[in-house]
Amino acid sequence: MTVTESGTGGAGGSAGGGVPGGGADSLDAAPARPPRAGLPQVARYAALTVAAVATGFPFYAMMVIALKPPTAVIELPGSLWPWPLTLETLETALAGGEIARWALNSVIYSVGSMVIIVVLSSLAGYAFAKKRFVGRDAIFWSIIAMMMIPYHLTLVPLFILVSQAGGINSYWGLIVPTLANVHALFLMRQFIMGIPDEMIDAARVDGAGELRIYWSLVLPLVRPIVATVGLFMFLWHWNDFLWPLVVGQSEQMRTLTVGVAGLRQQETLLPLEMAGVALAFLPIMAVYLVAQRHFLQAAMMSGMKG
Amino acid sequence: MSGHTDTSPRVDPPPGPEPQSSGARRAASRAGVLLRRREARIAYAFILPYVTLFLIFRVVPAVGSVALSFADYSLAGQFSWVGLDHYERLGGDPLFVEALRVTAVYTVIAVPLVVVGSLVMALLIRRPSRGTKVFRSIFFLPVMTSLVFAGVIWRWIYSDNGALNAMLEGIGLSSVPWLSNELLVLPVLASVATWARFGFDMLIFLAALMSVPVELEEAARVDGASWWQVFRYVVLPHLRPALFFVVVIETVHSFQVFDVIYVMTAGGPVRSSSTLVFMLYQRGFEYFEFGYAAAIGVVLFAITLVVAIVQGRFFGRSRT
Repeated sequence: MTVTESGTGGAGGSAGGGVPGGGADSLDAAPARPPRAGLPQVARYAALTVAAVATGFPFYAMMVIALKPPTAVIELPGSLWPWPLTLETLETALAGGEIARWALNSVIYSVGSMVIIVVLSSLAGYAFAKKRFVGRDAIFWSIIAMMMIPYHLTLVPLFILVSQAGGINSYWGLIVPTLANVHALFLMRQFIMGIPDEMIDAARVDGAGELRIYWSLVLPLVRPIVATVGLFMFLWHWNDFLWPLVVGQSEQMRTLTVGVAGLRQQETLLPLEMAGVALAFLPIMAVYLVAQRHFLQAAMMSGMKG
Repeated sequence: MSGHTDTSPRVDPPPGPEPQSSGARRAASRAGVLLRRREARIAYAFILPYVTLFLIFRVVPAVGSVALSFADYSLAGQFSWVGLDHYERLGGDPLFVEALRVTAVYTVIAVPLVVVGSLVMALLIRRPSRGTKVFRSIFFLPVMTSLVFAGVIWRWIYSDNGALNAMLEGIGLSSVPWLSNELLVLPVLASVATWARFGFDMLIFLAALMSVPVELEEAARVDGASWWQVFRYVVLPHLRPALFFVVVIETVHSFQVFDVIYVMTAGGPVRSSSTLVFMLYQRGFEYFEFGYAAAIGVVLFAITLVVAIVQGRFFGRSRT
């Protein structure tokens, strides 16, 4: 579980050309001559299809039930027919105001954290990758070593810290403690190390200031990792549960995960509950369809977390 | 948010003291020393915001957690040292012993399930052919889904009149109380975790499978090796580092399972799915016994560490 310098797939790749090869890309670059199948093709497809149906069924059921009228009595298997469908339940769920508010909180929490994490980790990652200063490697590897400390160990003191500072039921209390993301820092530093020193020196000779080099040279060169880290951070915060659960205690400050998890206590009808889940899941689904490659890459990289 | 970074432009006069001779830039001249100092100042300014936040919100709580486990603390601010009291209480707390057992049983069920499942799926999907990309996308969908959202759907599927029981009745079997049976609840939760995680592990295995030389596999087959022999003696050795990695992260994940339990069972029936992290949450945030909850966290960390080390030994010193 040690994270070594060479630990990230392709992270050290040359950034000069633009896209350093990442995990998801290499998955498509399969061996030219695939090994012969151990199983007959038909059996293979049958197994894959069964697995795909089992994997996809919960999503299908969620969508179909969310598209039933709010008071529909769910009977099986009849209710799983994708007909008749109505947007009524989704509208009711949104009109209640509650879910819309939770969605807003989720957006603030995940987008806010994502943007700040990308900025902080790329700034620090640039310094750790390209600057010479006393204690550079000692500081960097101490931070990486802290990955071993599980989140749950720090939960209680973190809560006390934030509550003493008055951060309970506030956006900053939600966001600020998650900003020093080790993962993001590690990926940023690894990728920025791939930028040739000559390019940075050349920019400096041309009279670019330090912030300008960072903003106009380094960041554009590592755009792929910025996208991947950003996406991964968005996803992580969107799905985060435990921290929002303890910090966002009031109804007004709940995120979607906390709100949806609490719907059961209110004895919500099944279609409405599924509508809540659907509304929480659809943004993820939309981003996934657009940026699937980055998602796969982000997931591969998250593996380095351990 | 740029509030932290706005010190650097000032440390940054336009073109510095003539870096013209960039080829011999490490000359030990006076200018070189000045440049190096300036570079260090800028570097510190760049890492300062990150490092400050890291110290406050990662290092302080980690140290604080150990300190807190030897103390009593209330939200009103009363603090007192209690020595080993919390740890002694843990030893004699039947709820804690039960949580340990539940966590261990859950891990023993969930880890093999997801490791074997994802390995099988990787082997099935590894040969690029029509549709593999679609399958891969579908298998990956649960990975991105919060276990809170997934848990709500699965709770319904496994409920007494949910989809699974309807299916069982449809084929003439009787329905099963999946979530209210103390023996079934952990396998059910493990199945949901497996559903949520196998797509990720599958990707790790797929990447590792790329390193298996095709020629070697074909040669083995030509020599008459069976499917199993090829897998066992040609493919599996190449998967060792990936296998180690997946086993370790899945074990860590299982030890720390929380979301899905909170949503699907709330630790029940009785306490049969109350894991260590669930107990930590209840002690800390329902009973506000912060010191006691911190002690649970420290024990959890110690167990995770020991298990990871043991697994490291078991797999040899393979690097991930």
